[in-house]
Amino acid sequence: MTVEKLALTTTSPARKPRSEGGGDNALAAELTRLLGPKKVLSNLSERLSYRFDAIQFGVTPLCVVLPESTEDVIATVKAARRAGVSIVGRGAASGLSGGAAPMQPAVVISFTRMTRLEIFPEQREAVAQPGVITLAVTEAARPHGLIYPPDPASFRTSTIGGNLGENAGGPLCFKYGVTGDYVNALDFVDAEGELHTLTRDAYDLAGLLIGSEGTLGLITEATLRLTPPPKFTRTLMAHFAEVGQAAEAVSAAIAAGAVPGKLEFMDGACTNAVEDYLHLGLPRDAGAVLLVDTDGDDLDTVEEERALVEAACLEAGGVVRRAADEAEAAALWQARRSVSPALGRIRPQRMNEDIVVPRSVLPEVVRQIRALGDASGFHLVQFGHIGDGNLHPNILFDPRTESAEAVHHLAHQIALVALRHGGVLSGEHGIGTMKRDFMRDAVDAETMTALHNVKRALDPSGALNPGKILPEEPHA
Amino acid sequence: MNNEIPVQALGPQGEVMAHAVDACVHCGFCLPACPTYALLGDEMDSPRGRIVLMKEVLEGGLDLLDAAPHLDRCLGCQACVTACPSGVPYGELITSFRGWSEPQRQRSPLDRAKRYAILKALPAPKLFSVAARVGQYAKPLAPALPAALRGPLDLLPEHVPAMQPSPEVTPARGQRRGRVAFLTGCAQQALAPNFNAATLRVLARNGIEVVVPQGQGCCGAAALHTGARGEALRLVRANLDAFNPDDYDAILSNAAGCGAGLKEYPVILHGLHDEKKAKAFAAKVQDISEYLATLAREEGLEPFLPTSRPLKIAYHDACHLAHAQGVRAAPRELLRMIPGVSIVEIPEGDLCCGSAGTYNLEQPELAGQLGARKAGHILSTTPDLIASGNIGCHTQIQSHVRRQGSAVPVMHTVEVLDLAYRGEL
Repeated sequence: MTVEKLALTTTSPARKPRSEGGGDNALAAELTRLLGPKKVLSNLSERLSYRFDAIQFGVTPLCVVLPESTEDVIATVKAARRAGVSIVGRGAASGLSGGAAPMQPAVVISFTRMTRLEIFPEQREAVAQPGVITLAVTEAARPHGLIYPPDPASFRTSTIGGNLGENAGGPLCFKYGVTGDYVNALDFVDAEGELHTLTRDAYDLAGLLIGSEGTLGLITEATLRLTPPPKFTRTLMAHFAEVGQAAEAVSAAIAAGAVPGKLEFMDGACTNAVEDYLHLGLPRDAGAVLLVDTDGDDLDTVEEERALVEAACLEAGGVVRRAADEAEAAALWQARRSVSPALGRIRPQRMNEDIVVPRSVLPEVVRQIRALGDASGFHLVQFGHIGDGNLHPNILFDPRTESAEAVHHLAHQIALVALRHGGVLSGEHGIGTMKRDFMRDAVDAETMTALHNVKRALDPSGALNPGKILPEEPHA
Repeated sequence: MNNEIPVQALGPQGEVMAHAVDACVHCGFCLPACPTYALLGDEMDSPRGRIVLMKEVLEGGLDLLDAAPHLDRCLGCQACVTACPSGVPYGELITSFRGWSEPQRQRSPLDRAKRYAILKALPAPKLFSVAARVGQYAKPLAPALPAALRGPLDLLPEHVPAMQPSPEVTPARGQRRGRVAFLTGCAQQALAPNFNAATLRVLARNGIEVVVPQGQGCCGAAALHTGARGEALRLVRANLDAFNPDDYDAILSNAAGCGAGLKEYPVILHGLHDEKKAKAFAAKVQDISEYLATLAREEGLEPFLPTSRPLKIAYHDACHLAHAQGVRAAPRELLRMIPGVSIVEIPEGDLCCGSAGTYNLEQPELAGQLGARKAGHILSTTPDLIASGNIGCHTQIQSHVRRQGSAVPVMHTVEVLDLAYRGEL
């Protein structure tokens, strides 16, 4: 059984650690000597929680470091290297692909205390340490008439470091782009413990680090691009009897020339899970709900675009509701942001897909996935950034009564639907461990060799976040 | 969250705990809501981390002693419950866990004595009053005392008022519109007797007859939340005997902590023979602000007199009102009915003030940091008056606001209403 499949099963002998102190842990002792006791966690009770991200599996780390400066990170990497121990970087660990969870005994570097943030309004830039909460950047920039557009659903929790590691998107990414589009410069510590400063000229090494899930280096500071917010925003919700109709409406609206700021969908199961939590009066009978913002500095254009979307929704058989005011719009967007965790009300665990397909094939893809779900007997739901073709089919399951093998099989089938339609495996959650197996379907052998060569160039000993993204080389 | 909690071995409270652990999907949405995570920035001192710790202890994979320091730091503010989209009943989990684990704890003699004193003095207003008076005289000595004793002394007001026992029946003024039972609270009677006096006046003025059932005692929340489950059960059953829910339109509390405690009775008695009785009781429990706001909406309240000058009130959401009971709008609606009053929202309003029942006494350092942060935020709104609906928050905020050099008055919501009726605002 592969690591990924093992991870999805409920019990394994390794899940029952006995209480133990950190006294016999030489690396923890060395790090404590270097950094002081407050930055190093070595007791089992302290380490246990750092084996997880939002997907609940992983291996308990040997020790956890909570650095307060880049120097702390450098010292940690060098000490881990001397001890021959691997290193896993971590933000708020709200990730959904296992990216921040160690897959072997390692040092976890948790960046949650590196939270320095400075705004430079004249340059329209923010300089942030990796532990800064995503929302905090916009909050700090807003008094200067600026915002930071990348807005993953977890933006109240997730950190800039985590966003960079996964190249996170969010509802705004359809029009405004993802995290990587807002990075002007990066500092990172490499596998040897050396610090580098990258800009986006010459080789775009910063671009390589973004979305590398901590497998190529540890980002310790980022210079982020800020923009003025659009002057006007209009919100619209449409609901449809069937999920394919929503996808048709999206394709038609964009073909007609609308460029909405946000274009999101959730299917009936998602809507109901959220409604159970927030009681917003969402349409419980609908097969799918679309949420759309049109925005810009010219009100006529904003209204025009909303009319285009509205017409496309009606044409596809939808029922349209305009948000009466900002409060109603905010409530609808809170609904969308709460989908992912609210699904926990249906089944305790889930396999979260993150495929991206061309918009032209959206109706076919969502219908095929729906059919796969129906045939599987699993509770399958779909939501996501449909404007980008970024879909999140989720398989909800109860590990005590349902087969992890079967879940993995269905996830694989879904990934193959995306690949057959010219899509890719990940839009924003990363490959992590969850989709590592599928990489062989997605990437040809020559390209895979190139990816392995890049990894070897930056991390020759394979110390950085091992077990993520790239499948083992057959001859290795 | 996957777990192998041996529910059978743990009994009805085991069911409650396993259900809560099941519901957690580990998404981390709770992290920014948690006061200790805000202060300490580590996973074990976040709700998500504490759920993992409790699960591991219940499964037998982690010693209770190892998990205890992090679980002890939880304020029980339940801000995470408000933030959680998966509906994890974290409050029920931590309360049940404390009840289950306390008998297995070995505490130092000083710690035991302190807890014993708190649990004996809190539910006994007269004893508490005496202790408060003694404490008042000891205040000047505070700098020379150990930290464990300085915390409580810091919180005592300069002047401990005389006790004002509530009459058994306060008749309605004018036409009687309703009949309610009232829980008088414990520490509050000693520290702020005017809260109850104002409550009785405001209710009576609106045609509500108020009965103070004589057999009533402490709600049991303090005992329960410190893990003294046996003591809590005794107090809960005494109240179930004292209040017959059929006799009243509502059972009212004017202390957020007590109100939340009363609403928790069905959880405490889950699987025990009085569970049904507890449900009938809890269904009638309301905070004073909930009851008055409903009355205002349905039948109207007696009109308030306008304030003598425009009055900006910073309303502080007590955790046990906002998070545990979900009451946020009602107190604001009531205060806004007073002509001349405007409400200002406090930055980081959802963050606990650090009072949190006995937390101030058990974790004085963290409580102090949160208190200072809250007072700073409140004063940043430059209010004319601070209102809240909980005695714990009241003393904590008053103490920290004074420490930051402000003389702005701190009142219970119902005191503000009472003053408005008397034209003294």
